[in-house]
Amino acid sequence: MTPRLRLSVNGIEHDVPVKPETPLIFVLRNELKLSGPRLGCGMAQCGACAVLVDGTEVRACVTPVSFALGKRVITLEGLPALWAAQRKLDPPAAARTLHPVQQAWIDEQVPQCGYCQSGMMIAAVQLLSRNPDPSVAQIKDAFTNTPPSPHLCRCGTYAAIIEAVQRAAKAMQA
Amino acid sequence: MDATQSKEITTVTRRDVLTGGGALFVSLYCPSALATQPANGASLDPGSLGSWLEIRSDNTVLVRTGRTETGTGMSGYYPQVVAEELRVRPETVSLLMGDTDKTPDGGYSAGFLYGMTNVRKVAAYTYQALLKLAANRLGVAPSELTVLDGVVSGGGHRISYGSLVEGQHLDLRIPIGGQPANPAEGKWADVTSLDGLTVLGNPPMKPMSEFTVIGNSHPIPGIPDKVTGNTLWTCDVRLPGMLHARVVRPPTFGSTVITVGPLDKNSFPTAALVRKGNLIAVVSPNEWEAVVAAQSVAATTRWTEWSGLPRSENLSKALRERDWGPPLQSKGRSEDVVASLKEAAKTVSASYEQPYVRHAPIGPFNAIASVHVDGTTTVWTHSAHSQGMRARLAGILGVSIENVVVRWLDHAGQFGRTTLGGDGAEADAVILSQLTGRPVRVQWTLQEDLAWSSVSPAWVSNAEAALDASGHITAVRTAFYSPHPYDVRPVGALLAGIHGKAPSPTASIDTVWAYDRIPARFEAAYAMPNLGAQTPTAGLRGNIMRTPGQRQQNFVLESLIDEAAALAGADPIEFRIRHTSQDRLIKVLTATAQAAGWQSRPAPQAGARKQPTQGLRGRGVCAIIRQNAYWAGIAEVEVIPATGTIEVIRFSIGVDCGKVINPRQLKRCMQSGVIMGLSEALKEEVTFDTSKVTSTDWSRYRILTMAEVPEIRIVQLSRNDKGFGGGSEAANAVVPGAVAAAFFDATGVRARRIPLTPAYVTELLRQPGKEPLRGLSEAPQAAPLYCAL
Repeated sequence: MTPRLRLSVNGIEHDVPVKPETPLIFVLRNELKLSGPRLGCGMAQCGACAVLVDGTEVRACVTPVSFALGKRVITLEGLPALWAAQRKLDPPAAARTLHPVQQAWIDEQVPQCGYCQSGMMIAAVQLLSRNPDPSVAQIKDAFTNTPPSPHLCRCGTYAAIIEAVQRAAKAMQA
Repeated sequence: MDATQSKEITTVTRRDVLTGGGALFVSLYCPSALATQPANGASLDPGSLGSWLEIRSDNTVLVRTGRTETGTGMSGYYPQVVAEELRVRPETVSLLMGDTDKTPDGGYSAGFLYGMTNVRKVAAYTYQALLKLAANRLGVAPSELTVLDGVVSGGGHRISYGSLVEGQHLDLRIPIGGQPANPAEGKWADVTSLDGLTVLGNPPMKPMSEFTVIGNSHPIPGIPDKVTGNTLWTCDVRLPGMLHARVVRPPTFGSTVITVGPLDKNSFPTAALVRKGNLIAVVSPNEWEAVVAAQSVAATTRWTEWSGLPRSENLSKALRERDWGPPLQSKGRSEDVVASLKEAAKTVSASYEQPYVRHAPIGPFNAIASVHVDGTTTVWTHSAHSQGMRARLAGILGVSIENVVVRWLDHAGQFGRTTLGGDGAEADAVILSQLTGRPVRVQWTLQEDLAWSSVSPAWVSNAEAALDASGHITAVRTAFYSPHPYDVRPVGALLAGIHGKAPSPTASIDTVWAYDRIPARFEAAYAMPNLGAQTPTAGLRGNIMRTPGQRQQNFVLESLIDEAAALAGADPIEFRIRHTSQDRLIKVLTATAQAAGWQSRPAPQAGARKQPTQGLRGRGVCAIIRQNAYWAGIAEVEVIPATGTIEVIRFSIGVDCGKVINPRQLKRCMQSGVIMGLSEALKEEVTFDTSKVTSTDWSRYRILTMAEVPEIRIVQLSRNDKGFGGGSEAANAVVPGAVAAAFFDATGVRARRIPLTPAYVTELLRQPGKEPLRGLSEAPQAAPLYCAL
């Protein structure tokens, strides 16, 4: 029997029967049935699988699950709760509130195919946590030059993403 | 169709009287021989519930189409079109897309204009029927009735559509023609039909001038789920007893198996090896075990060696040296062009090169198949042509098409790769499911996808123009040379030895001629098989990709026009306008020039030098006409000679695509089309050595990043008098020509191939006065890969 590992994802503790070297993405997708992080390149070159581990973006496709033990993993699905906790929203308000980044992605109609967008929103949350009012140049720089690789979108939604990040920044400062 | 028939068509028949609920079902009625053929699945049985549209007693509307969302917003446009004709609110219309057992029409997803015309007519027929029902119920003549938001009013009475159908089960039958997709190996793309079924007749439709829903920026329905993590993607399908598969691909296009490496059952206790011919896979209930076990098997599997490709850096030379024989297709009168060239005051002659590029979806392809012993099969896929894929899989499995159901789900954008109902992981999945007797989920890796999927073929082209003494073009001659563009046989079937018949070489002239004031023109298109066609995997299988053929040919034509404008000492926009009488093109060129702040002058700019100490600015224009849409693109660039980089500072793009359906989504599609076009202009190239593709990750197959996105200015010219046009696709096709023209304006040097990589630009600027004659390719250096964490 594979021993169980205890993993905290989106505020919930899970015991998962996986080997410690298993990439985090397979645990999130196959064991926890989360569809936000998606398999792209499988080698930390595109960002489609990005999640937050203790508030920092990591690429779940190359990160062994053992790295996340004892840490807090947040996926796309956990962003509303992250925002609710930051803003200390009461449960009814929390239940009807998306993270401002998600709301901006809807308001700006960002996704085309949408496959890369979970990772894009994770990158936006990380950027806005460090720079609450980024310029266009800073947004471009963050999505392109933050290691380990640029966040890639094949549909070409970069222009929409820039507009959505600016909208989210305004909403988060309000 | 005459008026009597139209009248019958809009007369509903009452099937049952129900105690609760109720609906008006708009089903299929086949007036032609098609009606006597066996129905291809439940969806085509005229008496079944499978239908195009339902008006439900809760005042909602369900529309079904086999066409799917590919990332351009079609899932939003269909409800807008239906809502417009039915006079309901678009948010009350829901859409069921792509499942072959639940949708009636078939057809490829990019054929939106075709599919939209179908559902618009269906809605128009239904509207007439609802008016008649309401007239009977309210005792008011149909001509006295008005409808707003699904509520019919007249003679002081009101009734909703929902109330009209409540407690009843009503059928409306409409006439259809056309042909569903069927297997047809050896025919074009191996299926009988691309367009699917067509709704016949001419029901009265709302005039465009009265539109209230079309023309508004209705939100795209799937977006909230994609943003919150609630979308079920193809890669999310999990079936009871399902096995995960990873495929062990050959090392070269021509390799065949000598021995299959052993699977160590101690290390991989629940994994198993599966093989059919050269298709080798490892399956396991645990995905990570499948991944690692497949790597282990791959390391010890022995294959034969093969080589036979020109290296990509020699490709252009190889294509030029080939004996192409006579053209497969030609247009125009060669002798007129020859005469004009003889009499010309000036001529311009140039040769252009474009590399192999590929669709390169961010998510590598995947598919899930469940093949039962009796041959009944269900496949979950993201193919953009479900009925075509169904036909192809029936052919591969050797079962009747009625046995196969294809279910569609979202996946990564693929830009035409599955339009012909082929390529992808579905064949791997059905073969492996058939062999294991279990549902199988096949997930390709990025390396697999970038090495083994179909590609958009390379081109070499020669072009000449004759100018008279006044600087007017009198003739244009073009010759296009390109490998096969329509071989979408899935690699899994080819490796398994199942799906082997090669399509005949094909070439076509895809240009729509913008310049009708040029009196003589001759075009020829030459064909050859795939590169590596002789191998068991058929080599580099050519396929269509966004603005197929026309993108490549338009780059050549527009570059030639730009060279002629410079020779004539004319402003490139004024020069184009001088050579066309097409009012829509002139207007979009003018409006886009205005948005870009274009100042009239010839290119190159006065200060153009090749070896300056600082960046050089230039601007260039490119136009295209495609699918009833007129496009103009203007690039403003800065060339940095020291590094060979081209920074695109601003790109202005304008379109007249007839009536704009959804301005905000069109803006998004135009922005993203510019970004894809810049990627093609500056970065993209499939590289290969003598035996295999080498651009197999994102450091070797480079696409545009966010840092390289310019300011993008958008011009939309919507109009009510020209119907609907293709508002998204060709946005990429005006970019490479505009960027190459801007490069010339900045430097005075012609760039006659794409991509304009730093290495190519450096080489161009290093050789003053001489265009380098060289191969298509310079293998981009692999970027350093950062170590994660």
